[in-house]
Amino acid sequence: MLLEVRDLHVEFRTRDGVARAVNGVTYGVDAGETLAVLGESGSGKSVTAQAIMGILDTPPGRITGGEILFQGRDLLKLREDERRKVRGAEMAMIFQDALSSLNPVLTVGDQLGEMFVVHRGMSRKDARTKAVELMDRVRIPGAAARVRDYPHQFSGGMRQRIMIAMALALEPALIIADEPTTALDVTVQAQVMDLLAELQRELTMGLVLITHDLGVVADVADRIAVMYAGRIVETAPVHDLYKAPAHPYTRGLLDSIPRLDQKGRELYAIKGLPPSLTSIPPGCAFHPRCTTARDLCRTDVPPLHEVTGERGSACHFWTECLHG
Amino acid sequence: MGRYVARRLLQMAPVFVGATLLIFLMVNVMGDPVAGLCGERRCDPATAARLKQEFGLDQPVWRQYLTYMANVFTGDFGTAFNGQAVTELMATSFPVTFRLTIVAILFEIAVGVTLGVVTGLRRGRPVDTGALLVTLVVISVPTFVTGLLLQLLLGVEWGWIKPSVSPEAGFGELLVPGLVLASVSLAYVTRLTRTSIAENARADYVRTAVAKGLPRHRVIVRHLLRNSLIPVVTFIGADVGFLMGGAIVTERIFNIHGVGYQLYQGILRQSTQTVVGFVTVLVLVFLVANLLVDLLYAVLDPRIRYV
Repeated sequence: MLLEVRDLHVEFRTRDGVARAVNGVTYGVDAGETLAVLGESGSGKSVTAQAIMGILDTPPGRITGGEILFQGRDLLKLREDERRKVRGAEMAMIFQDALSSLNPVLTVGDQLGEMFVVHRGMSRKDARTKAVELMDRVRIPGAAARVRDYPHQFSGGMRQRIMIAMALALEPALIIADEPTTALDVTVQAQVMDLLAELQRELTMGLVLITHDLGVVADVADRIAVMYAGRIVETAPVHDLYKAPAHPYTRGLLDSIPRLDQKGRELYAIKGLPPSLTSIPPGCAFHPRCTTARDLCRTDVPPLHEVTGERGSACHFWTECLHG
Repeated sequence: MGRYVARRLLQMAPVFVGATLLIFLMVNVMGDPVAGLCGERRCDPATAARLKQEFGLDQPVWRQYLTYMANVFTGDFGTAFNGQAVTELMATSFPVTFRLTIVAILFEIAVGVTLGVVTGLRRGRPVDTGALLVTLVVISVPTFVTGLLLQLLLGVEWGWIKPSVSPEAGFGELLVPGLVLASVSLAYVTRLTRTSIAENARADYVRTAVAKGLPRHRVIVRHLLRNSLIPVVTFIGADVGFLMGGAIVTERIFNIHGVGYQLYQGILRQSTQTVVGFVTVLVLVFLVANLLVDLLYAVLDPRIRYV
């Protein structure tokens, strides 16, 4: 395994109490594999990613338990200066909003070249040449001329390509993409996603794709991990999960996708709201919204049951869900 | 860019005329321009009338203003109470005040920005609270108090500096006066930088810079500070004009023969020509400083384009 997250716990100290953002997340990615992490806002998917990258705001955030094994090393045991050398060079992150994630006062050439200057000790001139190569690679037209432009001079899609180029600069083994296409037009979304998937195959990188877009997931992911209230509730190969979900929450998500054959009828939505992270319900965190919840669900936290060798479901009654 | 500068220069014309007209009217119409010419005593009516005719003060005010402005543009600012040309006074006093301003600005940048960065990154910690308290004290205490106190302690009690600055007024002598002159602005710069840093520290591009694996100092200086300094530069730029004209108190305390000192003397002796002349030049300094700030803004923030 390239990356293995084991029983990760993250909490935030806030004025309203301790928010338990991540409560025992376990997932892994192989080289060349794409893992989609699916979940609503506040499900802990981004916080997990930030913990892996080591860019969590501490304080108020705090990692209270677990391991993050990357190429066999536990990242949480590294010193900050060792950790820094891993960031950007061996694992990189693509953020959601490229406009705010790129520095507005530096040219894209400077921002891309910076990776080579800092991690590889290149001269600024060589780094600029590298920056142009990278921009060519993510198919930005007229790269040589545009290397001196500032982020605001690019369109949304082009900016996200620059983010991708920056993440790929040092050919890292792992890329974490946090909702990379959410801020883009639908037509551009597909182009950017295809580009990312293509480059990932080319460089056999591991890709953790954080998203709440089930459409994107079906196209590019190999496996899916569904998160709810800081836990993995279901993990499965993408086609198995779409065919037959083994958790009521996943089933709810799939039923929420608007379909053409339901035209004219009311759209399905999971009832209720995700729980506040400062007061996660006892037992199964999903039970207040679950249509099949029973007494057991209100008291006992369900472990991640093994469904098949490569599938898991954190539902006490996963068999019913799978077959019903 | 060229067109923008040209337009800004054109816009400066009415401001310049308005400001000078105002000061001209205040001094010449509300005050008595010949009152100061007879020394401590009042002029006798006959002399006053003669002087008024000699200086063209019997002409309508708009004529007087036009004549004055025409003279100014040929470099003639008139004569001061002691018979010296006002331009001569300017030639000796402006360099002194300019040096004083440079010292003050350097303090604002070196101390103010550094303190601002340190406190902005450690918001809510003892360093931050302490610095905040000190800036509050500095802002609340008037300059003449800080000035006199430092003069008394450093100059008289401990003898570290000369309590009064020599007519040459070299940079070394101007260190303490410069600090006094800068004190209030310095406190503002600290607070402004602190707020700006603290705000930008949470920005997405700073998170990106960290995720790129950049060393901490590079994240702070190249990514965070560059963005946070934009409002600070605006403040410091505008402050140049303010410090040039507003050094009256500091210059009085340390006996520096700069612009403030001459202006003070001019007002005291009711020397119309000195006051109007100096204020005219200060208005120009202010306008040019503001233009430079706006141009610098575009250099610091490429999103701003002037057309």
